[in-house]
Amino acid sequence: MSDSENKPQADDIDAENAKVLAASRKHTRRSFAFAALAAVAACGAYRWAVYSPADGMQPLPRRRAFQMNAELSRAIFDERALAPTYPITHAERPRVNGRVGLKQDLLPDSWRLQLVGVENEKSFPQYAPDVTAWEYAYQPSVRKDDPDSAQDAMSKSNATGNEPHRERAGKSVRGLEEAGPSLSTLAVGTPGLLLSLTDILRLPKYELVTQFKCIEGWSQIIHWAGVRMADFIEAYPPARKPDGAFPRYVYMETPNGDYYVGYDLEVCRHPQTLLVTEMAGEPLTQIHGAPLRLHAPTKYGYKQIKRIGVIAYTDMKPDDYWTKLGYDWYAGL
Amino acid sequence: MPDDHESDEVRDVPPHATLRLERKHPLAIRWMHWINFPVLFIMILSGIRTYWNTTDNAHLYPHAVYRIGVGSFTLTRLFPASVWKALDIPWHVTQGLGDHFFFMWIFAINGIAYVAFLGLSGEWRFLVPRRESLKEAVQVILSFFYLRRKLATQKKYNGAQRIAYTSVIAMGAGSLITGLAIYKPTQAHYLTTLLGGYEWARWEHFWLTMGFCAFFLVHVIQVVIAGWNNFRGMVSGFEIRPASEPSLDVERKSWR
Repeated sequence: MSDSENKPQADDIDAENAKVLAASRKHTRRSFAFAALAAVAACGAYRWAVYSPADGMQPLPRRRAFQMNAELSRAIFDERALAPTYPITHAERPRVNGRVGLKQDLLPDSWRLQLVGVENEKSFPQYAPDVTAWEYAYQPSVRKDDPDSAQDAMSKSNATGNEPHRERAGKSVRGLEEAGPSLSTLAVGTPGLLLSLTDILRLPKYELVTQFKCIEGWSQIIHWAGVRMADFIEAYPPARKPDGAFPRYVYMETPNGDYYVGYDLEVCRHPQTLLVTEMAGEPLTQIHGAPLRLHAPTKYGYKQIKRIGVIAYTDMKPDDYWTKLGYDWYAGL
Repeated sequence: MPDDHESDEVRDVPPHATLRLERKHPLAIRWMHWINFPVLFIMILSGIRTYWNTTDNAHLYPHAVYRIGVGSFTLTRLFPASVWKALDIPWHVTQGLGDHFFFMWIFAINGIAYVAFLGLSGEWRFLVPRRESLKEAVQVILSFFYLRRKLATQKKYNGAQRIAYTSVIAMGAGSLITGLAIYKPTQAHYLTTLLGGYEWARWEHFWLTMGFCAFFLVHVIQVVIAGWNNFRGMVSGFEIRPASEPSLDVERKSWR
C-alpha cells in the first residue's frame, strides 16, 4: 500500500476519533464539575458537624450519634446478655487507673452510703432527714506515692496536725476536678438512708471473674466479690412513680462529689452488676475505691465508679463526669 | 493531527486505532467508591486517635496488643512517640470516638450497598478472582518490575486487580465484624469469643486497618502509573479504548 492510498482512510479514522474524544470531554467536564460540587458539599457538611454547638464537649451531631447508637443497642440487645466469665486462675493483678474523687484516703469507719429515693424510706431504721449532713473523715497525712499529693496538701491546709480532715457531704466544695461540679448532686436537706457497710454485707455475697474494659483500650480479667446490685435494689427498692413505674435512672457519686456517674436502672439490675467490696481476693484498697465500688461488665470502666458515697434513684437523666468531657453517657459494651 | 490521541489523554491506546468510549464503571460503583474514600480515611484517623489513648501511660503499662515481636523479644510497639506527634494524634480521643461511631454507619451501609450492587448487577464477574487469576497476578507483578514482557490488555481487571479488589472487600467485611466484636463484647460476646476474645479482636481490627493503608498506597501508585484515561474512568465512567478491543458492555449484555 502506498502512502496516497492510506491517507484518506487515516483521515476518516481521525475524524471519527475526534468525535469520540469530544464526547469524552463533555462527559469529563460534567462529571468532574459534579464531583467538585459533591466534594465541597461533603467538606461543608463535615465542618458544620464539627463546629456545631457542643453538648458536653462533643458537637451535637456526634452527641446525637452516641445517643442514637445507645437507643439502638438498648432495642437490639435488651441489656440482658451475660458477659463471659473466666476461671479464677486467669485473673490478673488489678491495674491502677484514675484517681478522680479519691485524692485523699477515706477513713473507713467514717463511711456511710447515702441512699436516696427509696420506697417508704421512713420505715427503715437507717432513715436520716438530711443524708448530706453526714461527715466523712479523711487521713490527715499526705500519701507519699501520689504524684498529685502536693495539690492535696494545699487543699487540706485547713486540716491541722494529725486530726482527720472532716467534710460534711453536702457542704464542702464539690466538683473540683476537670468536669466541675455535678448537676445532680444532692441538695442540702435531702432525706434518705445512711447505710453502713454491715447493712450491705448482709446481702448474699457473689464472686465473679470477668473482663474489665477501659475506654483507653486496655482490658484485664479481674476477680470481683461483693453483692449483686439487683439484690441491693430489691432490699432497698426505688419509690415508684405515680403511674406505678420505677424511676428510669440511678445516680452515683463519690463522697466528695468530684466523680459522678449516671446509669439506667436496668443496667444496675443486670445480674452481673456488683457492688464490689473485694478485688483479686482481697479487700478493696483505697485507690480501687474502698470500701465500696461498682463493677458492671456491660459498661466501660469509666462507669464503674470507685468509692461510692451516694446512690440515688431518679427519673431525671443524671449528670455524668466523663459525659461532660466528651464521652458517651451510655458507654454500653 | 494524526497523533492526537497519543497525547496524555490516551497514551495507553495504540496510535491510529479507531477509538470508542467504553462504559467502564457504572454510576453506582463510582459513587460508592468515592464515598468510601473520605469515610475510610475518617474511620482510620478516628480509630488511630482512639487507639492512642492506650499508649497514654505506656511507660507504666506497655501495650501488649499492638506489639511487634516474637516471644519475649519486642521489636517495637505501635506507634513510636515521634509518629504520634508527627500526625498530631495525641489528645483527640473524644473526636476519634465521636467520628468513629458516626461514620461506621456510613462505612457499613456504603459497603453493604456496594456488595449488593456487585451481586445484583453482575459486575462481580469482573471482580471475583478466577482459576487463572493467581498465575496472572504473578505475571502482572513480574512485568511491573520489568522481569517479564507486558501482558496483553485484560478485560476490566487483571488477575492482580481481581485478587486485590476482592480482598479489600473481604477486609472491609472483616473490619465491620471485628469492630462489632470490640464495640459490643458483652452483648455480642459469641462473636468476640469466635474471634479469639476481646484483645484478639482488637489486634485483628488494627491489622486490617494497616492492611487498608497498604492497599491505599499500592492502589494510588498503580492509578498514577495507569494514567489519566484510567483514573478519569472512575469519575466520568468512560474510558477511551481502541474499538478493536472486546467491549465490556457487550459482555454485560451476555449475562442477562
